[in-house]
Amino acid sequence: MASRLAPATKPLFRAQLSSRPTNGHVAFIPQVRKVVFEYCEKWASSANTRSYLHRHLEDLARAHPHVEVVVKQRNYKPPIVRGFYLNDNEKVIGLNGFEITGIQNKVQLLLDSSGAKIKPLKRRTIESTTESARGIWSGLHVDETFKI
Amino acid sequence: MALAALFRRAPLLLIVPDVAHPPLALRQCAARAVHTQADAPANATNALALIRAQPSKYVIASVAGRKYLLTPRDLLTVPRLNDVRVGDVLSLQQIHEIGSREYTLRGNPDIPSDRVAVQATVVEHTKGKMEEIFKKKRRKGYERTIKHKQTYTRLRIGPIDINLDRSS
Repeated sequence: MASRLAPATKPLFRAQLSSRPTNGHVAFIPQVRKVVFEYCEKWASSANTRSYLHRHLEDLARAHPHVEVVVKQRNYKPPIVRGFYLNDNEKVIGLNGFEITGIQNKVQLLLDSSGAKIKPLKRRTIESTTESARGIWSGLHVDETFKI
Repeated sequence: MALAALFRRAPLLLIVPDVAHPPLALRQCAARAVHTQADAPANATNALALIRAQPSKYVIASVAGRKYLLTPRDLLTVPRLNDVRVGDVLSLQQIHEIGSREYTLRGNPDIPSDRVAVQATVVEHTKGKMEEIFKKKRRKGYERTIKHKQTYTRLRIGPIDINLDRSS
């Protein structure tokens, strides 16, 4: 019946070996990986999208080399643009009724986003995983111990 | 720009952080509460060297007109910055204070950026949740519903770099 001794080295629990995601801390990885344009060849609702694809798509693809740009035909349906992100999320935006500048704004919205779910951000100013640098106050470690 | 150094008193010890000491009993606390004032360092370089030696640090910096207490790796959400693109790296120019567990250095009014450098990377431009603002004036037939999504920019704070060499 041997008594259990404390381990010679501090035990290493595997949870502390996992890394916390901090994109942008040292290296930044753009979160959007693919943008798919779906348009109709015939209908007038896709006319603006078709002219956008003719005039601005190549410059867009050149300016964002990390993004895979795909153009698909989806006939007899209104035009849409889909964004695919590294966190497996998808954003779909309809382009019906927009002028070319409007289409550019919507595409830029997809490229700027990180794919995270839209949540209220008014009170989420700082999201931190580091513990406080100055530590937590303790009533026992002051000159006069704090008396309730 | 003259720096005004402010050092907090650590009552139980001079420079060594008290986490290194074993936890004290209450009686020992009273006996050891000698109010020894640590000698304030002679210049800013010595002050920064003391802070740099500590494991975790924070800065108080102004970003987009507001002051925030920032540590490395945290995600700061500010109103949309239209001049920057996703992936751009910004350097924080107005650093008012840098501190660690034992020490604080406060600038007058700012700490020069060649001494303490903190960078922030633009991670995304987002919008908040849809807000519906309902306006009504009673008995007048006036009702309006305004839908609004506030635009934000999220920044990831990089490591806090302290440069001890005298700026050239």
